Amino acid sequence: MMLLKIAWRNIWRNKMRSIVVLSSVAIGLFAGMFMIAFFQGLMKQEVDNAIETQLSHIQVHNPVFPEDKEVGALIENGSGLLEKFKQDPAVKAASGRVITTGMISCASTAAGVEIHGIVVSDEKNISSVTVDLTEGSYFSRGGKNEIVIGKKLAGKLAVQLHSKIVLTIQTKSGDLTAGSFRVAGLFRSRNSSFDETTVFTKQDDLAQLLGTGKEIHEIALLLKDGKQADPIAASYKKQYPSLLVQTWSEIEPEMAMLTGLMDQMMYIIIGIILLALMFGIINTMLMAVLERQREFGMLMAIGMNKVRVFFMVLLESFMLTCIGLPAGILLTIVFVRYFASRGIDLSAFSEALSQLGFSSIVYPELQQSMFLPITLMTALSAILSAIYPALKALQFKPAVAIHKI
Amino acid sequence: MNTIIELHNLSKVYNPKTIPVYAVNGVDLQIEEGEFTALVGPSGSGKTTLLNLIGGLDYPSGGEVKIEGVDITKMNENKLIDFRLKNIGFVFQAYNLIPVLTARENVEFVMLMQKKPKIERDKLVADLLTEVGLSDKRDSRPSELSGGQQQRVAVARALASKPRFILADEPTANLDSKSATNLLEIMAKLNKEDHMTFLFSTHDQRVIDKARRIVTLVDGKVISDTKNQPH
Repeated sequence: MMLLKIAWRNIWRNKMRSIVVLSSVAIGLFAGMFMIAFFQGLMKQEVDNAIETQLSHIQVHNPVFPEDKEVGALIENGSGLLEKFKQDPAVKAASGRVITTGMISCASTAAGVEIHGIVVSDEKNISSVTVDLTEGSYFSRGGKNEIVIGKKLAGKLAVQLHSKIVLTIQTKSGDLTAGSFRVAGLFRSRNSSFDETTVFTKQDDLAQLLGTGKEIHEIALLLKDGKQADPIAASYKKQYPSLLVQTWSEIEPEMAMLTGLMDQMMYIIIGIILLALMFGIINTMLMAVLERQREFGMLMAIGMNKVRVFFMVLLESFMLTCIGLPAGILLTIVFVRYFASRGIDLSAFSEALSQLGFSSIVYPELQQSMFLPITLMTALSAILSAIYPALKALQFKPAVAIHKI
Repeated sequence: MNTIIELHNLSKVYNPKTIPVYAVNGVDLQIEEGEFTALVGPSGSGKTTLLNLIGGLDYPSGGEVKIEGVDITKMNENKLIDFRLKNIGFVFQAYNLIPVLTARENVEFVMLMQKKPKIERDKLVADLLTEVGLSDKRDSRPSELSGGQQQRVAVARALASKPRFILADEPTANLDSKSATNLLEIMAKLNKEDHMTFLFSTHDQRVIDKARRIVTLVDGKVISDTKNQPH
C-alpha cells in the first residue's frame, strides 16, 4: 500500500514529465486504434462495395461457367431455383443473370466487355448500380434494347446518354451476332475497372440475342446477415451438389487475402508505433530514475529490498499507463465517431483508390473486440519499457548513490 | 556490556590493480552496547567509508565486520538489505528523507517494510515524533520542514526499526548551531535513557564534546581511541 502511495506521489513530482509519458501512452493507443479503424473501414467499404455492385454474398453457377463463361453453361432449371432461393428466410434478395462477354462498339472505337442481362426489379434489390447512376435512368423507360454502361467506358468510347452502340456476341449455337442498343444510363461505382468493363442490359433483350430463352447463367444472393455466408453456402453446396455455390471470398480470393493481409499490416504498424512509444517511456523513466539516484540509494540503505525497488519503478510506469489508456480510448472513440459520420476525404488520391476498388471517402470503423487486444498491447509495452529503468535502479550501490547530488 | 560491533583488520582499497588508495587500512575496533562514539579525523581520513563498511553499505577489501558475532561481509546483497532493515538505523548528512511522504509516513515506512501491525506502527510513530519534538509536524512533507527538523525526522526513522545501533554520517554538518545542539541533545537523551548505541562521524566540535568515546582516524588508520567526559 505504501509502495502504491509512493509511486503515485512520485509520478506527480515532475508533472510535465508525467504528462509527457501519459500523453505518449494516450496518443500511442489512439494512433494504433485509429489506424486500425481506418484500415478496417477501408477494407469493409471495399468488400461491401464489391458485394453490392458485382459479387453479392453468394453466387450459384453451372460448375463449367466461371472458367470460360461459355454461353451454353447454364443453370439447369435456373428460374425455378431462383424462386426457391427467394423463399429462403436467410436470403434478403436474389437475382438471376444472363452473362456473356462480347465487344461493345461505336462509330469510332470498340472495347471488350462483360454483359449482364438482368431482371430490373430483382437487380435493383441486389446491386447498388442503380444508386451509382449519374445520368439517365436504370431501364425505367421500358424501351427495348436499352443498355446501362459505366461513365468511364462511355468516355473511352466517346458516347453519351442516348447514343447508339453495338454489342457483338457469340450465341448459344456458336454463331456471332450483333445487336444495336441505346445508352439509357451511365453509372459510376467506386471501382473504375468495373465501370470500364461491365455493362447491363435487360435479360430478355440479351437472351434473345444469345438464344438462351428463359435460362440463366448466374444466381446472385444477398443475405440478411453477410457474416453467415460461409455456413449458408455450405448448406447450399450439400443441397445442390451439381451446382457451383461460392461465397464472395471464394469468388474473389485476392480480396479475402487482402483483407487478411491488411490485418497483419495493421499489427505491424501498431508494433512500430508501440516501439516508438516504448523508447519514449524508457527515456523518460530512465531520466526519472537517474535523477533520484540518491533516493534509491537511501531506500536500499534503510532496508528496501530490490524486489520492492523494482516494482516501485514498474508501478510508476503502470500508473501512468492506467491514466493514459482511458485517455487514449476516449480520444479514439471521439475521433472514430466523428469521422465515421463525416468520412475522411481522400479525394486527392481518388483516381488511384478507384482503380483499386477503394472509395475516396473512408469511414473508419472500429470493432469493439479490437479495444482489448490493443489496450493490452499498449499497457504491456508501457510496463515492459519500465523494466530497463527499474533494472538500472537496482544497480545503484547505496554507499555511492546516497552521496549523489 | 555486550560487544555490538567488532572490526578485525578491516580494509578498503580503491584501485587495487593500478594506484591503490587505502580508504580504510587494517582497522581493529570494538563498539560496546550503549556507547556514544564519535569517529573523527580530517577529510579523506576514511570516516564515511568505515561507517559504510560497518553498515553493510559496501564490501571491504579485507578483514571482518561482525555485528553481534555475525560476519556481515559474507552476506550477499539481499541478505545485507534485510540485515540492515532489522539491525541498523541510519542518519545521513543530507537527511535523505523520502520527499513524497510526510514526516509520519517517513517514520512509518521502515516499520511497514518490517511488516509490523498498524496499531504498533501508529503508537511508535507517535512516540518517536514526540521524542524528537515534531508531533505537530507529523503531516508535513520534508520540503515543508527546516533542515534541523528533517534531521530529527531522520533520527526518528532510524529508531523506528528498533535497531541494535545507529550510524550517523556527519549528522550536524548541514545544520545551524541551534538545530545541531537540539539534535545532539535528542541523540544524547536516546543514548542515556534508551541505551541506544550511536556511532557517528563528525568534524563538529560540539558533537565531539558530547561523545563519551572518540576514535580518531588518519589515512584510514585508527591513531587514537580515547574516553571523553561529555560537557
